[in-house]
Amino acid sequence: MLLVKKNILIFTVLTLLLLALFITDLFFGSVQIPVKNIIQALFSGNSGKEEWNLIVLNFRLPKATTAILAGAALSVSGLQMQTMFRNPLAGPDILGISSGASLGVAFILLGFSSMLGLQTGDAMSNWIIVLAAWFGAGSVLLLIFAVSLRVNDIMTILILGILFGSVSTAIVSVLQYFCNEVLLKSFLVWSMGSLGNVSGSHLLVLLPSVGFGLLLSLLTIKMLNLMLLGENYAKSMGLNVNITRFLIFLSTSILAGSITAFCGPIGFIGIAVPHICRMIFKTSDQKTLLFASIIVGASIMLLSDLLSQIPGNGIVLPINTVTALLGIPVIIWIIFKNQRVASV
Amino acid sequence: MTPIIQTHQLSVGYKSGSQTRTIITSLDIAVSRGELIGIIGQNGIGKSTLLRTIARLQEPLNGKVTIYGQTIDSFSRNEFAQKVSFVSTEIVKLNHCTVRQLVSFGRSPYTNWFGQLSSNDEALVSEAIEMVGLTSLAGRYINEISDGERQRVMIARTLAQDTDIIILDEPTAFLDMPNKYEVIHLLSELTRKKKKTILFTSHDLNIAMREADRLWLITPEKFLDGAPEDLVLQHAISNLFDETRLKFDSRKGEFSIRRKPIGSCNLIGKGTAHIWTKKALERLGYDTENETYSIEITVEEKAGTTRWHLIHEDNTQTFNSIYALAGCLKEMFTDRNTNSALG
Repeated sequence: MLLVKKNILIFTVLTLLLLALFITDLFFGSVQIPVKNIIQALFSGNSGKEEWNLIVLNFRLPKATTAILAGAALSVSGLQMQTMFRNPLAGPDILGISSGASLGVAFILLGFSSMLGLQTGDAMSNWIIVLAAWFGAGSVLLLIFAVSLRVNDIMTILILGILFGSVSTAIVSVLQYFCNEVLLKSFLVWSMGSLGNVSGSHLLVLLPSVGFGLLLSLLTIKMLNLMLLGENYAKSMGLNVNITRFLIFLSTSILAGSITAFCGPIGFIGIAVPHICRMIFKTSDQKTLLFASIIVGASIMLLSDLLSQIPGNGIVLPINTVTALLGIPVIIWIIFKNQRVASV
Repeated sequence: MTPIIQTHQLSVGYKSGSQTRTIITSLDIAVSRGELIGIIGQNGIGKSTLLRTIARLQEPLNGKVTIYGQTIDSFSRNEFAQKVSFVSTEIVKLNHCTVRQLVSFGRSPYTNWFGQLSSNDEALVSEAIEMVGLTSLAGRYINEISDGERQRVMIARTLAQDTDIIILDEPTAFLDMPNKYEVIHLLSELTRKKKKTILFTSHDLNIAMREADRLWLITPEKFLDGAPEDLVLQHAISNLFDETRLKFDSRKGEFSIRRKPIGSCNLIGKGTAHIWTKKALERLGYDTENETYSIEITVEEKAGTTRWHLIHEDNTQTFNSIYALAGCLKEMFTDRNTNSALG
C-alpha cells in the first residue's frame, strides 16, 4: 500500500536524522576537540590526549546515550498516558508522575540512605534509587487513576495531577528541612540531575531499565489501540482492561521513573513528542506512534542537549529549560486545536 | 432449540457504595436467533442497564444471563467478544483514524498479541465495510464523515468482529430522520441476510415498530414483550402514553399530540385535499367528527385548482390555500377569546 511505503520513507528519514544528531552531539561540547581525534577516541580509545579520551568516552558518549534513552522513555510514557486517559494533555510531568518519582528518591536519599548504607555510584544503590523512583511514580499514577474513575472531566484530572505534583514537591522540601547536611548535599546533587550527570555505572542500570520499560510498552500496542475507543468498547472487543492497565502503568512508571531517577525531572517532552508524531504520520495507530515516539523523542532530546550548550563559551543551560522552550509551543498549539476536537 | 440469549430471574440495576438501585427485577426472557429486538421505554427506566448487563459490561444484581445456554461469565473476555459485539451511545471522536482502521479493530478478538491482521482478517474487514455501504469512504478519517456514516462504521466494526449477537445502545440517538431509518433498516437487513441476533434500545418508537421483530416495552410497572403489532392490539402502546400529551392512534399506527378541541367543523369533500385539510384542522384543534358543529368547510376541486369555502355564522369566505384558511380560523379563535375575555 502507498501509505505503508510513505511511512517507511518517513521512518528512514527520521532514523537518519537521529543518527546525525547523535554524532553531532558527540562532536560538540564546551571543550573543542578536533573531529579526527574524536573519531580516534571512539574507535581506538586513544585520541592522543588523555583528557580528550576522558571527555569523549566518559562524558559525551554516556550523555548522548542518556539523551536517547530519556527522549524515548519520556515520549513513550507520554503516549501511553494520553491514550490511557484519553487526554491529549496527559504526560509524565503534567500528571505529577515525575514528581512522584522524585519523592520516591527523596525518601530513600534523605530518609534511609544511612540505614541502607548507600554509597553514591555503586550498582546496588543505583538500583535502589531506581526502584524508589518507580515506586513513587507508580503511586502517583495509581492515585490519578483512582481519581479518573470518579471524575470524568479531563481538565479536573490535569489540575489534580498538577496538585499531586506540588504536594510531592512540598513533601520533598519538608524532608530536606529535617535532614542533616551530608544527606542534603547528596540529594541536592541528585535533584540538579542532568543528562551529563549520568555516568557509565548509572547507564548500566538505566539502559536495562528503559529497555525493559520499552519492551513492556511494545506488548501494550494492541491494548492501546483498543483503549482509544474507551473502556466499554475495549472490553466488548475482548480486552482484559485490568491487565491492560497494569501493564501500561508498570511500563510508564518504569520509563518515567528511571529517567527521573538519573536525570531529574525533564518536562514537556512526554506531552509534546506524541503530538509531533501524530502530526508527522497523520495516524492514530499506536504501533506507528510508539516507534515514532521513540525515534522523534530521542532526536528531540539530542537536539535539546545540543542547544543547551551554547557554542563558543562554556555555559551549559539546564536541559529542562531547553525542553520547555521546545515543548511549550507544541502544547499551546494542542490547546488551541482542542477547542474544536477533544480527543487524542 | 436452545435460545441464543436467555435471562434467568435477572435483576439489573446499580450498586453505588452500600446503596443498591434495582431497575428491573426477575426477568425471564428468551431470544431466538435472527431476531431484531427493540427495547423501548422512558429515560432512566433501565433500557441501557439491561443492555449493558446482557453485553457483560455490567454485573447483574441477581440472576444470570446465558448465551447458547452458557452463563456469560463462564466465557473468557476474548471468547465472549467472539460471540457478542457492542455499540455504545458514545460518539467516537478520534483524530487521524481511518474508517478502515476503526473497522479492523473489530478483528481484535481473533488477532495475536500485537494485533497483526492476516489476509483473511483484511478480507473480512473489507467485506464488513462493503456490507454497510461505505467502501468508497474506507480511507477517510472518521472525524470527516457524517454522524450517520460514523454509526454505520461502528456497525461495520461489529460485523468485522463476526459475532452472532450484536447489541446497540441507542444507535439512532444523534441521527437525523433519514439516517435513523437507514441505520435501523440496516440492522433489520442484517438479521435477515446474516442471521444476526440484534438488540437495540431506542426512543424512536415509530421506527422501532416499523422494523423490529419484537419490542420489549419497559414501564415502571411491567415488562412487556411481543411483536410490535401484538403490543398495539393489547393497547400496550397506547397505554404507555396515557399520562403524557402524546396519543397513539392504534388504527393508524401514528402518534399525535393530545389537544383539547377548540371547536368542531363539518368537513365536506374528498380526495387527497380532503385528507390534508382534515389533518390541518386537527392540528388547529378542530374536531371533524362531531355531529354538531359551528363551522363548515367545503373542499372543492375544479379544473386542477382547489378552493376552500368556509361557512361561519352565515358568512361564506373562499380561500385558495390551506395556509390562508388556517390563518382565518386562527384569527377567528383569537378574536372569540379576546372578546369573551373582554366581555
